[in-house]
Amino acid sequence: MGGALNHSGLENAYWGLMVVTYPFISGLVAGSFVVSSLSHVFHQRRFDALAPLAVLTSLALLIAAPLTVLGDSRQPSNFLELLTRDHLPYSPLSTFIVIWLTYIALMLVELYVAFRVTNARIGEGDGWWARLHRGLALGHRNTSERAARKDRKILFGLSCAGIVLAFLFHGYIGFVFGATKARALWATPLMPVLFIVSAMVSGIALMWLVHFLATRYVGRRPDRQVASGLLSYLMLFLLLDLFLDALDLLTSAVPEYAQGSAYYGFSHLLLHGPFTFSYLGVQLGIGVVLPLALWLVPVVRRSWPGGAVMTLAALVGVYAMRWNVVLGGQAESKVSSNTVVTTSVPLTGFDSVQTVLGVFAVALLLFLLLAWLFPWGQAHEAMSASPSSSDPAVFPGTGVGALGPMPAPAPGESPVSGGGDA
Amino acid sequence: MRGEQSRRSALKAFGAVGIAGAVSLLGARLRGLGAVARATMSKNAPARLAGKTVGRPKGAGATSAAAAEALYKLSPGWAAWTQPGLNVRDGWSEPDEWMPAIENSHGLPYTHNTFSRFEAPGKLAHHWAMVIDLRKCIGCQSCVVACKSENNVPVGVYRTWVQVIEVGQWDRDPEGDGPVVLEGGTYEPSVRRFSLPRLCNHCDDPPCVEVCPVKATFKRDDGLVLIDYPKCIGCGYCIQACPYDARFFNPIQQTADKCTFCVHLIDRGLLPACVTSCVARARVFGDLNDPDSEVATLLAAHATERLDISAGTHPQVFYINLDGDMVDAATAFNTIYPYAAGTNTNQYDELTGRVLLQAPTGGEGGVP
Repeated sequence: MGGALNHSGLENAYWGLMVVTYPFISGLVAGSFVVSSLSHVFHQRRFDALAPLAVLTSLALLIAAPLTVLGDSRQPSNFLELLTRDHLPYSPLSTFIVIWLTYIALMLVELYVAFRVTNARIGEGDGWWARLHRGLALGHRNTSERAARKDRKILFGLSCAGIVLAFLFHGYIGFVFGATKARALWATPLMPVLFIVSAMVSGIALMWLVHFLATRYVGRRPDRQVASGLLSYLMLFLLLDLFLDALDLLTSAVPEYAQGSAYYGFSHLLLHGPFTFSYLGVQLGIGVVLPLALWLVPVVRRSWPGGAVMTLAALVGVYAMRWNVVLGGQAESKVSSNTVVTTSVPLTGFDSVQTVLGVFAVALLLFLLLAWLFPWGQAHEAMSASPSSSDPAVFPGTGVGALGPMPAPAPGESPVSGGGDA
Repeated sequence: MRGEQSRRSALKAFGAVGIAGAVSLLGARLRGLGAVARATMSKNAPARLAGKTVGRPKGAGATSAAAAEALYKLSPGWAAWTQPGLNVRDGWSEPDEWMPAIENSHGLPYTHNTFSRFEAPGKLAHHWAMVIDLRKCIGCQSCVVACKSENNVPVGVYRTWVQVIEVGQWDRDPEGDGPVVLEGGTYEPSVRRFSLPRLCNHCDDPPCVEVCPVKATFKRDDGLVLIDYPKCIGCGYCIQACPYDARFFNPIQQTADKCTFCVHLIDRGLLPACVTSCVARARVFGDLNDPDSEVATLLAAHATERLDISAGTHPQVFYINLDGDMVDAATAFNTIYPYAAGTNTNQYDELTGRVLLQAPTGGEGGVP
């Protein structure tokens, strides 16, 4: 049977697990893009090696993200209506197609520029692999330091625009919920901010894991400086997240401060109800408090398993946040007072665990394809041929400072990832 | 450093997971996209319905496939109700053939936003509205049945419904002979019950129209909020945005659906089905721009209330004698039980014994 398609009754949670996953994946897009811009825009040299990987991750997830909403739509074959009769700028959802297409275009250009020198160098060889990379460099064969510097400048501009787009892409999703005044738990101006901050948390956590797994996969050691730097940023955004959650609690969960319906939903669903475990236990407990507490222990903070636990916990917590917002918000009844709309997540079929796993698998497939095609391990060496360039090594004002230059890769460690497959 | 061998096998494993997932996703949902799929597959729909292998119409299964085809031609819509997973490949290829088209017989202008240009009173030919006199409503639900019959509303969903609400509380009977017996003692009612007909409020500032990403829903300049069904992408945003829960997914056509004030009738000078079927004349429909109309005189003569006006949607369904506590349903704390509760709420679960009944603990709420 159709599972979640077969709705009947007065009130339903029509948006299911796919809509839970959509903000999660788009948050990973925004977060991982900002990680890549740490190197491109803020000139944090220790993240140079991570930037190409972050670009690939972000692009793969960006392509996979709309599959979730396409899968949740009841008339997916009508999706072209978004292009032909888009309700701009009145509908928050209508901005999707504009932002997404712009973002895709920008990411493709960024992908080209970030890997152009590497592709051109590989293209100097013989065989189909070299021919392929000559094609990927679009015939631009100049690999001189001057050309690389010019590419870095272009990357700076692209990444600046990309940060704006990343925030727009995720902010609009927060606004889709924040603009829905019919749902008391959604209609708060905090919503876009909450979404963006948790997107940063999830994106940084994901990049920590991707860095760890990808470097181990190609047989190199993960970089401790990168890992500890990412963890510091993770803690920064977790603290911000905690602050926003406290603000949300104060304005929604205190009957004297909150609107009646918002308080009713918060107390009957999130604090004492079906979403208590996923809100207090997973979203706040595992997602925010646990990583913060673990980070305070130096032994755990410096160990690889410790970092993995912290980042995985943060990811789980962010997914729980999406779960609580999307499903929790719909569980509050609009017209049948004093009741809770029951929600269920089917294992297979429409809007189910199966389709969500499918989307994640598509993202993984795309990432593997991109990582095979674009030699991310060589890219940063090509781009930063002379680390002693005029760029300042410290991003002012972070206090995270004391950034030594990236340790130069050992000559024997020439990587990786497909470069030698031909 | 690991060997090349293990790297390659790991890559293969990752790739296998990815491909399997992609196939699973595509198979689960994204089927039937594109005209080619439609053209090649729709003719096989009856065979699919009969569970036969598609592509071999001749053979052992031909007879039952023919029977299924006959059934399908007789009632395609209801075949989908029992099998909601059906899609374009099952013959749902021509929505224009079976999806109701919204009529606009008089060619009225409409808008998807900027509703303020419709606000000037008296400027437009009509401004349809409904007044519901709750003193007269007896809760017979005949309007619900008439609406379903008139508009072919599928089983399980409603364009209008009459909420029967019990307010007050059940008191514990100290002598132990109350009509409701629970573990903690017996209880007797100290309650009042009233009926609240609900339908689309055809708001003057409808959030559902504003949020539609593809302009599939619109507001006509005589006040009606309507849907152009074949344009709907089924995202569900309008359903989320409606503060009155007046919209739903039609399980047959898989688009958003709602009350139309029976646009096909009023464009021909007739009244909506719920109004003509109301035995107590509790529902009154008419033109607010006509000062002599019954709705205008009722509004002039009575204090009226509208649902959830704090939402700022300017609803056009007016209630006489509405309990102030029910205006904003979500915060109506003294409701005991809305008898028209959704079938997927925890109250329905309690009513049907899916969860154990609990003795009421205090003055607020509680289930008898």
